Amino acid sequence: MLRTAALTTASVIVALAIWQGLSTYLFNPFLVPPPLRVIATAVPMILSGEIPRDVWISLTRVFVGFVSGCLAGMVCGVLLGRIRLLHELLDPAVELLRYLSPTAMIPIAVIWFGIGEMSKYFLIFWGSFFIVVVNTTAGVMRAPITRQRAAQCLGASQMRILVSVVVPSAAPYVVTGMRIAMASAFMSIIPAEILAADSGIGYLLEQSSMLLQTDRIFVALLTICVLGFAFDRLFQFLVARTLARYMSHIALT
Amino acid sequence: MIEVRQLGKVYGQTERYLALADVNLHVAAGEFVCLLGPSGCGKSTLLHLVAGFETPTTGQVLADGRPVRGPGRDRVMLFQDAGAALLPWQTVAENIGFALRARGIARQEWAERTDRALADVDLLAHRGKFPSQLSGGMRQRLQIARALAVEPKVLLMDEPFGALDAITRRRMHVVLLDIWQRTRQTILFVTHDIAEALILADRICIMSVGPGSAISHDIVVGIDRPRDLADPAFAIKAREIEAELMPDLAPAMPRSA
Repeated sequence: MLRTAALTTASVIVALAIWQGLSTYLFNPFLVPPPLRVIATAVPMILSGEIPRDVWISLTRVFVGFVSGCLAGMVCGVLLGRIRLLHELLDPAVELLRYLSPTAMIPIAVIWFGIGEMSKYFLIFWGSFFIVVVNTTAGVMRAPITRQRAAQCLGASQMRILVSVVVPSAAPYVVTGMRIAMASAFMSIIPAEILAADSGIGYLLEQSSMLLQTDRIFVALLTICVLGFAFDRLFQFLVARTLARYMSHIALT
Repeated sequence: MIEVRQLGKVYGQTERYLALADVNLHVAAGEFVCLLGPSGCGKSTLLHLVAGFETPTTGQVLADGRPVRGPGRDRVMLFQDAGAALLPWQTVAENIGFALRARGIARQEWAERTDRALADVDLLAHRGKFPSQLSGGMRQRLQIARALAVEPKVLLMDEPFGALDAITRRRMHVVLLDIWQRTRQTILFVTHDIAEALILADRICIMSVGPGSAISHDIVVGIDRPRDLADPAFAIKAREIEAELMPDLAPAMPRSA
């Protein structure tokens, strides 16, 4: 644990040092600003509240879209995985629609919802929903038949089997789907904000690009990296704290 | 208790495979019957039909005089892979609790009933463990305890000790016979092990090899319990069964039946 932390820190420091060297001696420092200058740019942006404000706005959009997309995806995934007729009817539609990335949906989302918050919620929802549906469906369909039959023999009702046997069996699939969906959400929020927003990290990128402020672009890019990484770790931590007993059993069956 | 009449089972729509043809079987209340036969002879299929997991193509299965239409807690199935049948995210005691809840037992009785079920299979000391922390034999004992908690009339056992080592398997025979002699449940037990069938059963039904398997011989064991492997009667019965199962090898052995 301590060893991992030390190695991670070392890896980051080495990467920053290489970056500093490359932008000082090899690249044009205007095109690739060195890390020290990026940090020097970042500090006032953070202190003035500019970065925290943009981060808060982007995170709110990610949160609303991701949570609603996951909830809807889980409900639909359980239904698709459990009801054969529904699966046969709707699976082709899901298989087709999931190739429409949130970016592809931006133009129509702007027409439908304008450039307000709703279009961003929709785009993040769109990106999360299909990933969670596909994973939940797979997890529900793969719930071991022996486990279900054993429960049935003991007298468990269909509802009890669904809630206490099938859904917990699918938990590892659902969690994996959510984790991929969260990465997708952090990736989709940027184009959505670049093309259809007047606030958020993506908008900061867009504005800095128009003004050729490469150091501010790098601050925004670094912010995205840190946020994505931090929230993935937070997600894994929460899963380990709350769902550990549902995640560790895969080895057994 | 269990009545199987002219039972037939065909699998597949286009490529039809006749798994069972005209199986007749009667298991009396409190009787311990083993279905014995080589792999692929349809003994598990027959057990699944009795459990109600599958529907017969022809004929019918009666449990307690009523036609079987699906699984019911009067007939609890015990699977060979106990790890797959148990809930791996629940502790030993919680797995019993799941059965008690399914059975509709009032919550205030759970603690006492769980203790009793676990004591029956000697798992009380492990009540807080997860199935993944148990040995194969302990997992199978937990599956038995879970079944006992719902007080079924019939236990259907599908090679439950097939994956255990020989020593653990002997121990499980003692545990199972001990429970059966106390509860007098009806047991239909599938195995391909002649010695196991002889140690456990009142009656051994030998199944012929498929396609179109049926029960070819119905042998009453008739050796007093507790049974002793060294008892000459045991060896004679074993030879008799071997001759039925492997008639091609029969000339090498004197037939006793």
